Amino acid sequence: MSLRPQRIVFDDVWGCLRQTVEKVLKLNSVRRDDWNSSFTDVYSICVAFPDPLADRLYSETKLFLENHVKSQLDEFNCYMNDMNDSESGENQLLHKYYSAWKNYSQGLEYLNYLYLYLNQQHIKKQKVSEAEILYGNGTTPLTISQEQMEIGELGLDIWRLLMIQNLGDILVKQILQGIERDRVDNCLTSKDIATIHGVIHSFVMVQDYKKKGNLQLYESLFEGKMLEASGNYFTSQASKLLQNCSVSQYMQEVIRILEEENVRAHKFFHISSIQKLKKECEDRMITDHKNFLYSECKEMVSNDKRDDLRNLYVLLKPIVDGLKELIQILLEQIKNEGAESIMNLKGENIHIQFVENMLQVHQKYENLIVETFKNDPLFLSALDKACASVINSKLSDGKTTCRSAELVAKYCDNLLKKSKSTECEIETKLSKSITIFKYIEDKDVYQKFYSRMLAKRLIHDQSVNMELEEVMINKLKQACGYEFTNKLHRMYTDIGISMDLNNKFNQHLKNVNDELSINLAIKVLQAGAWPLGPQTNITFAVPQEFEQPIRKFEAFYNTSFSGRKLSWLHHLCAGELKVSLAKKSYLITMQTYQMAMLLLFENCDTMICKEVREVLQLNNDNFQKHLQSLVDQKLLLIDTEKIEDSSVLSLNLEFTNKRTKFKITASMQKESPQQEIEQTITQVDEDRKLYLQAAIVRIMKARKVLKHNALIQEILSQSKVCFAPSIPMIKKCIESLIDKQYIERTANSSDEYSYVA
Amino acid sequence: MKVTVKSWTGVALWKWIANDDNCGICRMAFEACCPDCSFAGDDCPLVWGHCSHVFHMHCICKWLNSQLNQQLCPMCRQTWRFNDR
Ligand SMILES: [Zn+2]
Ligand SMILES: [Zn+2]
Ligand SMILES: [Zn+2]
Repeated sequence: MSLRPQRIVFDDVWGCLRQTVEKVLKLNSVRRDDWNSSFTDVYSICVAFPDPLADRLYSETKLFLENHVKSQLDEFNCYMNDMNDSESGENQLLHKYYSAWKNYSQGLEYLNYLYLYLNQQHIKKQKVSEAEILYGNGTTPLTISQEQMEIGELGLDIWRLLMIQNLGDILVKQILQGIERDRVDNCLTSKDIATIHGVIHSFVMVQDYKKKGNLQLYESLFEGKMLEASGNYFTSQASKLLQNCSVSQYMQEVIRILEEENVRAHKFFHISSIQKLKKECEDRMITDHKNFLYSECKEMVSNDKRDDLRNLYVLLKPIVDGLKELIQILLEQIKNEGAESIMNLKGENIHIQFVENMLQVHQKYENLIVETFKNDPLFLSALDKACASVINSKLSDGKTTCRSAELVAKYCDNLLKKSKSTECEIETKLSKSITIFKYIEDKDVYQKFYSRMLAKRLIHDQSVNMELEEVMINKLKQACGYEFTNKLHRMYTDIGISMDLNNKFNQHLKNVNDELSINLAIKVLQAGAWPLGPQTNITFAVPQEFEQPIRKFEAFYNTSFSGRKLSWLHHLCAGELKVSLAKKSYLITMQTYQMAMLLLFENCDTMICKEVREVLQLNNDNFQKHLQSLVDQKLLLIDTEKIEDSSVLSLNLEFTNKRTKFKITASMQKESPQQEIEQTITQVDEDRKLYLQAAIVRIMKARKVLKHNALIQEILSQSKVCFAPSIPMIKKCIESLIDKQYIERTANSSDEYSYVA
Repeated sequence: MKVTVKSWTGVALWKWIANDDNCGICRMAFEACCPDCSFAGDDCPLVWGHCSHVFHMHCICKWLNSQLNQQLCPMCRQTWRFNDR
């Protein structure tokens, strides 16, 4: 053969070619020689001399395809007329159509290849570009139908126009019947399934070559009707189930149906329909019956019916706003249960009950959310909201302010002070206390209580373990930041530095061959870091037994740290006294003032009260309190009922106690616990005012001019970490800063402030 | 010996000894820290000059850095020298 363009007689060449075309379309076997020469025929028609005859080939082929499809359609119509009355035959139509389609589309694929030259050289050239199809072309308004298509596409288009336009409705009707049968008795054979799948996908495949709108036929012809029929089916299923199912059973059924429908959608439909079918099922079976599903929700939550709740979650999750009510119910339940768990607490260990009961509720619902609600953040935030609400609400008596901060601080104090638990257990419990701590709004109140308790533990050597103290401070730092724990950390370090200092002091004494008469341990605290209250000057004449060791220590201290002076907090000092009496001698731990009193009796047996007070230079309050504790212990005898200036005191030489080593603690506590709590609260209030004023000045200095509301917002956001200030308090602080002329109201607006430089 | 002291745990606070109550540069009390710090004490120490004036260390350093040629005490205008005592 020759590749050179030649003169040809079209009818002759097409006559030969046409025979092959027919064989190919009918999937009859074609000899290789014939195939090859037909391939060449297409070529020689396209390049024919003097005029290429491609257009003619195109229209002849189109005509041929149309006739081919038409004749098949006629067959179907005859068949349907025969079958008109009998229902049983209808499935056969689907099978017949499917096998015709399969053959046709297969044949078409070969044919498309046979026409390779025409497709590539003749048709591609006139094809508008993809972009022009997608976005339109302003200059040449070429519509796709005017344009020639590749032969494969042409064949599909012909099938669509002639076959599907005519048979579509009946096919769809039968498909839907088939699907209905699949739903109801699940009796389709695998051939039935393959056929229905194939027919449905023929609606997609005839337009698959399109870049845009390739699902248009599938959607308009089939999908809409399919969804409508499915919706009706779901509605009727739902009402059937509602007649005799509990909520629990109904949910199980719906979940089962949803799963089945998912399988069904994959089995039959185009992938784009899967989500739509699911949505339809959810709308008809869940959204339409939301109230029914919610009818037992409260009981499910309160009776901890996890299987039901899990199902409810699965069903409501995809529904818009579906979970809202469930979350609200859960939140209320946690609130109620939490409030109940800490209501009416009685006894010595309210702080333990408070923290542990609250933790139990928290843990229970956290666990529920993990197990049942897939750790859904919406549910977790409801848990947080509920816990915060319980923990920050007033306790049941209504009168007192919220005690949570104090109780949680006390819980930690208790653990760090005298736990019998192992270190590891304590640490776990401390960590858990942080869970509760995080919900506390007034973190500054907690901090105040915590620092007071920490101070006591550290000063009186009550900590079970210094490492644990540090661990806890770090946990708080992690939760609230460096500023929050700075003072706590300072206190902790002071103790470490002091221990170091004592060692160095002892070494120093050794070096200079000196020895103290007593065993000395000093704690040097940094003023400002410790919550010791106002340092009212308590006069006290230090007994000469301490005098010298103290001087030596001070001298040593000044060589280590210049520019500093020490002031002694004798009310916080304590020691051990050896008291040798007629029968036994005793080692008694007591406070410095008590020690000083007893030391007076070293050289005499009796003294008058007034004398004792004057020697020690103690104020009456302290004098009375500490003397009373020694009298109560019967270490000192007194000749009057009450302590009076003229009362005569004597050392009780006949004193006996079963233990030879003990402690006098009676007057350790300066204030009653209630007073102390109130004091702490007042102090927090004062601190807050200072904090707020400082914040306002800082903000105004940076912004110069600010509206009232904007200032309030800024303050609220800055103080959030520590506490939630009340608006009246903020206003008061603003007023007092205006009085102090740090800020002023601007002239043009009453609710605007400016910074006074 | 009827009554003898075996051991004693003393508790003391330390404070700065300064001739003045306030830092002459920032006007803040020595009990408190300089404006750049948030915590007093070891975190914001005091320093003494040979002229016997005391400042927050942070304040005097800032002051000296801002002086172009002469390093003078801002209070008495004598040449500033740190007194290490
Ligand atoms: Zn300063
Ligand atoms: Zn500083
Ligand atoms: Zn000076």
